[in-house]
Formats: sequence, C-alpha cells, structure tokens
Amino acid sequence: MEIDLADLRQMHPRLPEDLALVMISRAALSLQRNSHTSPVNVRLDVDRAVTAGKLAWPGSDPSFLDQHDSKRLTEDGAEAVALAHGHLAHGWRIVRRMQQGESADWLLDRSSDGVRQLIALEVSGVASGSITSRLNKKLKQVLESEDVDQQWAGIVGFEEPVAALRSSEVTKP
Amino acid sequence: MSTDLLNTLVTSAIWRAEQLAEHGIDSASLAWAEVSALEEELAKALPASQPEGRIARRGAVRAALKAGDFARAQALAERYLAEKDATRTLRASLRQLLEEDARTLADRFRHAAKAVDDVRGLARWLQEGGAFGLAA
Repeated sequence: MEIDLADLRQMHPRLPEDLALVMISRAALSLQRNSHTSPVNVRLDVDRAVTAGKLAWPGSDPSFLDQHDSKRLTEDGAEAVALAHGHLAHGWRIVRRMQQGESADWLLDRSSDGVRQLIALEVSGVASGSITSRLNKKLKQVLESEDVDQQWAGIVGFEEPVAALRSSEVTKP
Repeated sequence: MSTDLLNTLVTSAIWRAEQLAEHGIDSASLAWAEVSALEEELAKALPASQPEGRIARRGAVRAALKAGDFARAQALAERYLAEKDATRTLRASLRQLLEEDARTLADRFRHAAKAVDDVRGLARWLQEGGAFGLAA
C-alpha cells in the first residue's frame, strides 16, 4: 500500500481544505524532524495483519516549525496519516469531527453492499518510541463511543514510521 | 443548509475551539458557543432516531457547557429529552452531561457547592424572563 498525503482531500471530501493543509503540513514536519524524507518505508498494521508500505508527503519548510505546538504537531500529523490509512485500507470517509467526550476524534462512514456503517476513530501520534501502550489505551477509550457500528483506534509512530489500525472487535447490530 | 455543509462547518469549529482551549485562550468559550450553535443546527436536520442526530444533540449540550452557558445547555437538554424519538441511552447521556458539569463546578467552588443549583435556577429564570422578568 502506498499512502500519499497529498491525496488526503480527495480521500475525504468532507475534510475542510484549511484543516487538511495544516494536518498534512504537521505530518510532514513530524516525519522530517525524525530525519525522514518522502517517500519513506512504513510498517502498516491493520488488526495485526502487518505489511510494508510507502508513505509520501508534500514537503514542508522546517523554518515554520516554531508556528506549531509540539503536541499538536504529533497529534494532527498522526490524524493525517491515520485518516489516509483508514481510507485506503477500508474505504472510510470522514463524516465529521467529534468533540472530546464522545470518546473518538472522528466519525467516518463506509458503504458495504449498499449498507452504510458508521465508524468511530480515535487517533493518537507517538513522536518517538513504541506505539503499543498508546494503542491499548486508545482502544480502551474508543470502546466508550456510542451510536456507531464500529470502534477503531489509529496510532501513528513517527520515529520508525508505523501506522496501526486496531478495531475493538465489537460490531454492534 | 445541507448536513454535509453543517458537518464540514462543525469539524472546523471543533478543531478551532480545541486549539484555543488547549492554550487557555479566553475566546475558547466563544468558539465552543459556535460549536454548540452548529450542533444545534445539525440536531434540527437529523432526528434523534438517527445515530448522527443523537451525536449532534449530545454535542450541542456538551459545547454549551464548555462555553460556560449552563442555561443554554439545560434548555437544549430539556428540549431533546422531550422528543418522542429520543432513546433511553440519549436521555441518560444528556442527564449525565448536566450532572457531571454540576459536580465539576461544585468541586471547584466547594464553599458555594450547596448554592450551585439555586444560582443556576436563578440564572435560568432571569434568562427566560429577560428584562421584563427582572422588572416583574
């Protein structure tokens, strides 16, 4: 699988353009500050099925790094990668952002055999180190989300590029 | 206005409110008030029988609380609780949102905790009555 963040807006037409640009720029800076250049090899994990892929992004000028809050750099960058990964792996499209308290960052949908399903996706980014404990924490969090058919956590690591999507394995009727 | 457009607007509004709130910017409460208004519009467009309608109703109340506007949050919650197609879980969630906010406020202002309900009731009475209510 090849993920090109330049296509994020085409993957998610309901994602506001200004937001998409900021998220892509923050993903680029998060990768570049870990000395990665586009495209980079990325480990892709979808419910423990691991494959090797490529992750590409439009370059971002590192002299603008100070304009971004460090935490938002990692979190918003992770959202760009996770949303692109979710679209390519499952055909998910953004419906809307959710408020803190809904136990997920994004409400997404997909159509399968003419049936629309709603997906809650909780995303987090890890600037350096392993993503395992964050994945477990976020999966537990997204289990609390209501009124959706599926609950997923998406974690992105920027040091050794990795994008993981894990479902709660609870599919409500 | 289409629900697609409202969803796009609420996405931008939530994102902006979150960023302002994270940095402790005072105008975050105005941004949350905008989120609440957009969620309310979504709630008008989507019935409570639909999952997205329930998310919007919780969102309208939650954002009003984040904006510090308890009277609006309570008025919205009462409107949504009265809807015939409101599910039991939606009703429970709406009540829980108001209760949690009251608890947080009581914890923050321990000495005034007993008066929180009275003060909120008074604020609501004043808001509903407006200047004429005050004059009466």
